[in-house]
Amino acid sequence: MEKYDVAIIGGGSAGLAALKQLSNLGKQAILLEAGSEIGAKNISGGILYSKKPQKGTVVNVEDVYENFLNDAPFERKITKYILHSTSKDKVYSMDLTAAHDYQSNFGYSVLLHKLNSWFAKQAIESAEKFGGGIIPGVHVKSITWNESGNAIIQTDELDEFEVKAVIAADGVNSEIADMVDARPKFTPTQLYQGVKVIVKLPEEIIEKRFGISSDEGAAHLFAGDITLNHIGGGFLYTNSDTLSVGAVYHYHSQLTNPSEPSALIDALLKNPMISEFIKDDVPIKSKIDKSLPQEEQLRVRFAMAKHIKNWNEIRSSYLSSSGRQRLIDSGKYKTDEDIKTRLDGIENQLTKLGVSFGSDYVEAEYGAKLVPDGKRCRMQKPFFKNILFVGDAAGRGVFVGPKIEGLNVGIDDGVRAANAVARAIDKNDFSANSLGEYYSKETENSPYTTDMKQIDKNYLKIFLDATKDIPKDIIGSRYGPILKMMSNERLRGIAVKFANILGYDKLLPMIESEDTYVKIPIQLAERLGNTVSSSYSPSIPSLADRIGNLSYNDDHSSHIKVLNPNSEFMKKMVTLCPAKCYTEEGGNVIIQHEGCVDCGTCSQETEWKHPRGEKGIHYKYG
Amino acid sequence: MGQLNIAVIIKLEPDFSEGNVSYNPDGTLNRAETKNTLGPHSAIAAHAAFFGKVMYGAKVSIGTMGPPMADLALQQAQQISDAEELHLYSDRLFAGADTLGTAEVLKTGIHKMKEKMDIVFSGHRASDGETGQTGPQTAWKLGFTFLGNVISYTVDMETRILRAKRLISLQGTPNIIEEIEAPLPVFISIDPTYKSSFDKVSQRLAFHKYQKEATERADNYKDYFTMFNAKELGVDETLVGLPGSPTIVYKVERVPKSTATRKAEVVDGSDPEQIKKVVAKMKEALDAMVIK
Ligand SMILES: Cc1cc2nc3c(=O)[nH]c(=O)nc-3n(C[C@H](O)[C@H](O)[C@H](O)COP(=O)(O)OP(=O)(O)OC[C@H]3O[C@@H](n4cnc5c(N)ncnc54)[C@H](O)[C@@H]3O)c2cc1C
Ligand code: SF4
Repeated sequence: MEKYDVAIIGGGSAGLAALKQLSNLGKQAILLEAGSEIGAKNISGGILYSKKPQKGTVVNVEDVYENFLNDAPFERKITKYILHSTSKDKVYSMDLTAAHDYQSNFGYSVLLHKLNSWFAKQAIESAEKFGGGIIPGVHVKSITWNESGNAIIQTDELDEFEVKAVIAADGVNSEIADMVDARPKFTPTQLYQGVKVIVKLPEEIIEKRFGISSDEGAAHLFAGDITLNHIGGGFLYTNSDTLSVGAVYHYHSQLTNPSEPSALIDALLKNPMISEFIKDDVPIKSKIDKSLPQEEQLRVRFAMAKHIKNWNEIRSSYLSSSGRQRLIDSGKYKTDEDIKTRLDGIENQLTKLGVSFGSDYVEAEYGAKLVPDGKRCRMQKPFFKNILFVGDAAGRGVFVGPKIEGLNVGIDDGVRAANAVARAIDKNDFSANSLGEYYSKETENSPYTTDMKQIDKNYLKIFLDATKDIPKDIIGSRYGPILKMMSNERLRGIAVKFANILGYDKLLPMIESEDTYVKIPIQLAERLGNTVSSSYSPSIPSLADRIGNLSYNDDHSSHIKVLNPNSEFMKKMVTLCPAKCYTEEGGNVIIQHEGCVDCGTCSQETEWKHPRGEKGIHYKYG
Repeated sequence: MGQLNIAVIIKLEPDFSEGNVSYNPDGTLNRAETKNTLGPHSAIAAHAAFFGKVMYGAKVSIGTMGPPMADLALQQAQQISDAEELHLYSDRLFAGADTLGTAEVLKTGIHKMKEKMDIVFSGHRASDGETGQTGPQTAWKLGFTFLGNVISYTVDMETRILRAKRLISLQGTPNIIEEIEAPLPVFISIDPTYKSSFDKVSQRLAFHKYQKEATERADNYKDYFTMFNAKELGVDETLVGLPGSPTIVYKVERVPKSTATRKAEVVDGSDPEQIKKVVAKMKEALDAMVIK
């Protein structure tokens, strides 16, 4: 049997950071990833933060990847952070850029397929120097221990092998945690359900519309009626030439009052402010004259499809300074005008074929995943024997106010785990008492853990300042006295201390309530909001079309098995599965696994595994 | 243990995939309009060579006889096999060669390669008209043991013995898998069903490492590339091209197309009426298929 020092399971941003750090320390490490390539299985919102906490230090992305700031394919540096309260066509906006900037070096919008592939490239280069590397397309199915305490790893694809330590970076739906019983499955109260779509929009339109330059970006957050009465909210982040539009809702609130995840996205897209944000010129195909001979009808259809494809490609390059340069460098065009002439030419041809141009939006990818709320579910001791849990797998995400920090926390965890393993290699001691406890102490010392345990009064102040001008009666009887106390510098310290004694357990149901996310924002919008209107109504694809647009490598047998087909929970899955994999027939719920996006929503009451290596969903954006 | 040296002989062929192939009005291949690519069987031979690279750290060389633009096929095969030597044998003198004339050029080329070869791979056949003798004839000229229809192989690097599985299909009998052993050097014509598999962590690591190396090399394939004409190659001119080819194609007859027994019908997918008809037809067909 082959033997290695350490195996990292899962090639998301957390696992990749662990691999890079181990290689930086000169240790051999291998990383196994189920997806056919790195990035195929990862999805985020997402803003990647680099932080500078007042107390303690964290390891940031640019510390792990020295060339991050120069070379990494991030999207845009977020420079505007605005929270909108919505009610129908009324919107009340608050600038929360200060909250975004709080203790942070930067926050970049990112798309995980692209970004994780880049991380992987850097990590492989370092890892290969020490005989390690990344093996994609391999799904770990079991871990056992031999008499010397080493872990034996079994996969669906490879011969079993032996390692001295494991870093479990297998995400929120960690099978590793489950198979070795390291912790109970996360419960709906501890989780949020995230759904998002990628919307295409040319670079220069984004810049003009959001009032940003080519090296700036905007983040818009939404609460109010767009939540369909759920606890959580929506977001819209500008990427280079796409927008990420998504929703993150408390899973418990989704179970209590189920809404289809795609309907939550639709509620956002239909909001007039967002409709206007995502608007683009799109070609509208005409109906083909049925009286033409069938061959002629086919010819017209193919010609339309071909010209529309060309038009899309050239237009998105034309509306981007780097895109124009690329076309000119390719030698096909001499000047910007040349490109424009070509574009006009295609438009003419399309018009002749009966195609018209109108307002709509273009959706490129739909996806979903659970998000762990570290306040409620972080593993107190994120290890089991010689397995160290990092990132989402350890339930470690900072979730305070509208901000989600999972990527940066996972990177910091990955580095701490790598350091602990490197130390164990040097001491040749991989016991839980040494390796596990050391890592556990290291994560406990992480400022991120503090954020998961306590309210930061200075961070809180930013939100209080933002709400200063809001009439007290809107905030209502519930928060009135608290707010009053909090707005006083001296009392705030006492109040926060008192709150922290109460702890998040008792506090969260008070703060994270329908009042906060739904009722108060609706009142704000109605009483103080501006009227926003949209010049068109977006034609939103059906869920079937959304799923049909995704790439899958189908597995013949299902990776998920329904255990109790007539439980109340399973019946709710018919609504709550973002890919509509569940249907009810004669009182029993059955699964059709083909469209599954591995989100984990149904894992509570199913025998839940990730698909075998290379199988299942393959995100292009993520 | 020593080094393992592998050569692959490949061929540039018309790309028969949709959008790339073009036919003359009389139904024959329009070679000028059709794009060219590495032949599918050659690609499989390159995969088999890459298996040797991953498993035994073999050194891979590739040779082909063809027009100057066949460097494209060499580059594609290098991308698959991580080869470090690319040979193109190109000369007007080689034109009109049959399989025997081709085999002579390839044999001479293989002798010209830097290393003394232990295994030579060829595809099962070409997809544009050659009938599968080039491999065996090259093997015969090289004096190597010939193994056909190989679906997998391993090499004992100590004893320098190759073990291979061969797929034997004879009409009217079930397929047989034969396991054979032969001392190196051998010539292997690879079966179209060949597929490499790597089951160990170390093999997967090597696989990805060499795959990356292959991409880097193929991006700079000119650095590995040498073109030889007849003189540079030093071939016996009576054994190549037309003079070296005992078979002469004196007439080509088209096999008459049999008339199709099924009729195709164009259906408009946006018309529910027409779709209904399709569904009805499918139902009819499926009903007929039910085993009662
Ligand atoms: C809608 C949404 C919005 C978000 N917004 C933000 C944001 O703005 N900022 C932020 O910082 N965070 C955000 N997050 C959270 C963030 O995306 C996650 O915290 C982060 O991606 C988790 O990284 P990870 O490496 O821990 O896990 P993952 O990225 O989930 O990686 C786990 C990997 O393990 C692999 N794997 C799983 N099981 C196995 C197995 N058995 N064998 C082999 N491989 C396996 C999977 O294929 C996967 O690639 C958001 C999340 C969502 C869903
Ligand atoms: S089947 Fe389960 S894991 Fe898959 S998409 Fe539906 S809810 Fe998510």
